[in-house]
Amino acid sequence: MRGLLIKDLYLICKYGRAFILIVAVFIVVSFMGDGNMFFISYPCIISGLLPMTLIAYDERDKWDMYAGGLPYTKTQLVCGKYVIGLSMSVLVLAAIAIAEAFRMHNAQVFAVSSYLNLLLLLFSISLLVPSLMLPFVFKFGAEKGRVIYYVIIALTCVGSTAFVRTGTNITIFVSNAGIYSVLAASIFLYVMSWLLSVCFYKKREI
Amino acid sequence: MNAMEIKDLCKSYSGFTLDHLHLTLPSGCIMGLVGENGAGKSTTMKLILDMIKRDSGTITVLGKDNRDNFRLTKEDIGVVLDVVGIPSCLNARQVGKIMKYTFHNWDDAAYFAYLRKLSIPENKKFQDFSRGMKMKLGIAVALSHRAKLLLLDEATSGLDPVVRDEILDIFSEFTREESHAVLISSHIVSDLEKICDYIAFLHKGKLLLCEEKDRLREQYTIVHCTTEALCKIPSSAIKGIKKNAYGVEAIVQKEKVPAGIRTSPASIEELFIFMAKGEDAK
Repeated sequence: MRGLLIKDLYLICKYGRAFILIVAVFIVVSFMGDGNMFFISYPCIISGLLPMTLIAYDERDKWDMYAGGLPYTKTQLVCGKYVIGLSMSVLVLAAIAIAEAFRMHNAQVFAVSSYLNLLLLLFSISLLVPSLMLPFVFKFGAEKGRVIYYVIIALTCVGSTAFVRTGTNITIFVSNAGIYSVLAASIFLYVMSWLLSVCFYKKREI
Repeated sequence: MNAMEIKDLCKSYSGFTLDHLHLTLPSGCIMGLVGENGAGKSTTMKLILDMIKRDSGTITVLGKDNRDNFRLTKEDIGVVLDVVGIPSCLNARQVGKIMKYTFHNWDDAAYFAYLRKLSIPENKKFQDFSRGMKMKLGIAVALSHRAKLLLLDEATSGLDPVVRDEILDIFSEFTREESHAVLISSHIVSDLEKICDYIAFLHKGKLLLCEEKDRLREQYTIVHCTTEALCKIPSSAIKGIKKNAYGVEAIVQKEKVPAGIRTSPASIEELFIFMAKGEDAK
């Protein structure tokens, strides 16, 4: 599977420059702001979208067909995308963690428990997008799977707006939201999504 | 030993059926799969690679069923599809690095030797390659991991005649080793005629024939005669007929041609066209 991961890293280096720039801008804005959840969570959402972007490039270049002739199982082809997605999410989360630590420290609101809860919440968010999207993409392809992307973006916008209207402070939210339950549910969803994607892709005719 | 055996293979889509296909490719041989667009050549390749599910039949590749831990068998198969499938932003050097961690038997020295031999630039992006250059890179990859079987789907299309000749020589060279074999599909029948030991005709999902190339040439001839003269030849010996203003031309079994009828040698391409049209006329 190492070859698959190297290939995806090459693709991220080539096509992911806009992604890196967006993440950097959002982290800087959130660092200078007051803990606005949107600026912190958006990089997590788009890092979760990376595997779908990679699959779309694979399909455009017919790599998915070519890979069918290489010594990889369909399970490995699916796992490659989940592994690369997870790795990128962790990297983005690490960058946010550093920026948030500085912001909280500067604003003198740093508290270990709320900081960790925030990171766990962000990690859960970054798992949510691929969990929901990847099974559809592996079943129907990136083109049709994009419909799910628009649904998720719409739901995120509606959810964010509703959340902002409640006037809830993010620090209060992460300390009181039963974050461990959210995390457990996200991990469960991610694992189920992974297994479902393997199942779908094994049945799909390339 | 046979490099590949296909028995009773069936696959149906809406509007297309691959119908009880039987093929046997002995080791050390090159088999050419000839057929028009939609004849089932790519479907056959995909079925061999288990990229699509067969409805029935068996496929044995290098002695193993292609559903039985096929990942390991694929280590010994070199594949070039009609669309090569290498990511467009990569260059040949990066492709080599990916393949090094893909194939256990990857031979970096052989790969770079092929890049030089086929004049493939190492640092140019794949998207900037011509179609011929893309094919050549696909072929270089397929030949650089000590494969025993090459599956080539329209691998010579888009190449200019000089490069095609060069590539065909490489394929012929490849099968000098007894344990190696090649299955190649192509529209360019003259290419197949040049290098193949066996020729298989696929038409609308049906195998019209699969025979040693030299036997095909020995067995069949084209007769040029009148309709009345053609009636003297047993219909079972006639494989295809073309009528024109001057009479008829037909592909027939050489031994069944009565004396006095004018004949000319049949090329593989003519044989295929006559047989395909004969099949359509049925």
